[in-house]
Amino acid sequence: MSKTIKPFHKALLAAAISAALPITGFAATDLELLKQEVAQLKNDVKDAKEWRNQNSLMHMAGYANVGYVSNDNPAMEDSFLGGTFAPIFHYQFRDQVMLEAELEISTAEDGSTVVAMEYLSIDWIINDNMILVAGQFLSPIGNFRQNLHPSWINKLPSAAPGFGHDGAAPVSDIGFQLRGGFHIGDMKANYAVYASNGPEIKAEIAPDAGDSTAIDEIEYDGIEAEAFGADGDGEKVFGGRFGILPIPSLEIGVSFVSGKATVTSYEGDEYTGTTIPSLDGVAASTYDVAGMDVSWRNKSFDVRYEYIKSEVGETSIGAYDLATTEWSTWYGQVAYKIPSTKFEAVLRYADFDSPHGSKDQQQTMVGLNYLVTNNFIAKLGFESNDNPNAGQKAYDRTLVQLAYGF
Amino acid sequence: MKLNNKNLILSSLAALGLALSASAAIAADYPEKGNFVKGAKAWADNCVRCHNLRDAKELRDDQWITTGFHMRVRGGLTGQETRDIITFLQQSN
Repeated sequence: MSKTIKPFHKALLAAAISAALPITGFAATDLELLKQEVAQLKNDVKDAKEWRNQNSLMHMAGYANVGYVSNDNPAMEDSFLGGTFAPIFHYQFRDQVMLEAELEISTAEDGSTVVAMEYLSIDWIINDNMILVAGQFLSPIGNFRQNLHPSWINKLPSAAPGFGHDGAAPVSDIGFQLRGGFHIGDMKANYAVYASNGPEIKAEIAPDAGDSTAIDEIEYDGIEAEAFGADGDGEKVFGGRFGILPIPSLEIGVSFVSGKATVTSYEGDEYTGTTIPSLDGVAASTYDVAGMDVSWRNKSFDVRYEYIKSEVGETSIGAYDLATTEWSTWYGQVAYKIPSTKFEAVLRYADFDSPHGSKDQQQTMVGLNYLVTNNFIAKLGFESNDNPNAGQKAYDRTLVQLAYGF
Repeated sequence: MKLNNKNLILSSLAALGLALSASAAIAADYPEKGNFVKGAKAWADNCVRCHNLRDAKELRDDQWITTGFHMRVRGGLTGQETRDIITFLQQSN
């Protein structure tokens, strides 16, 4: 290759000198200086060529958001939000393998910096229809968590109840996943199947009504469905999603997870007694998730629906039996891009059902977005939150968010 | 007339520009080149399944490769769709 560059640069040198020296005389020191410049130029060209021809590519993408929240909860102050910075690192060798890692960095209420690993996977491009995703990955169950949660993509400033880091929908997992796409005639399909460490379960000790030091019962508190670095309970799960697009603007997906999970910790502080039933030897519970998602769009409208249900089967902790328990949530969302403007109106309704009445939530959210650019969006949203259970309250919020995808 | 520093700098910059223009014609030899027209359609059909369309000029050609492969994983694209979309974005850049 150098044989082709050297003559080229001799020609460049001649052209440069000809352009710069319309008359004959110049000092020897100037010629020496020019030689040095050309030598440097050769190195720069070589470097540039190496950059363009490299077998490995590195790229940082990601998103960030900041905002403001106002609410009618007397126990909480309105606040500016430091937001989240989520860099995604891509390191790719040709078209064979890609390393992907996303961090989520935010400032906690006490001022400390919180860093979380959203995902870290090595993606082996096996063939045109299959990729092995190994490591920590976003849960492929449903569509919101794996594809829609980044703030510059989510059309509202918050996640629907149960779809955040709080509820029914699995968030992330560690294992091996096969995924890809293929055509069925004129239709398109995509799939993801995986085996993983799966979740762990928290239980809650409910005290006797008249004596907080006495145990009334033990019940499931929640599913910890964010990736664990090691499988604390040794139980694996299997799951996946299959999506089909009969026409390019319509996608219908079904998801499932099946396996076992174990109670590994307690949550809650209502019980003040000192006798804590041991979790050693607790039998694993069945763990099953079912989900469905539908999305449709045209030039102005974007319509989405998603439903997820997680169920944990019965087990016992000491003398206490824990009954089968389920969490479910769904949302429906319509976004309308107002023609010939940069404004977008959004309406979402969501219903999250938990075994604990205090956590049930029915939410109606309206939003108005201004698309400064397609990847920099100013959002204004109002959440009307209700708890359908008597004596329970959910607080309304108004949120402002600037979201930038890069 | 002596060659002053300004001329030297201008000459060097001109030569550098020409050289980089020449090197700009050299693109990564992967992935295999796709179909521009099919790529335009695949770009319009698939990207909006989740997010607003991104302008081809937002990223460099090499960045569209990594971005294309990232979106292949996320969006369940086939290898051919990915190559077509990358070709479309690079040639539109």
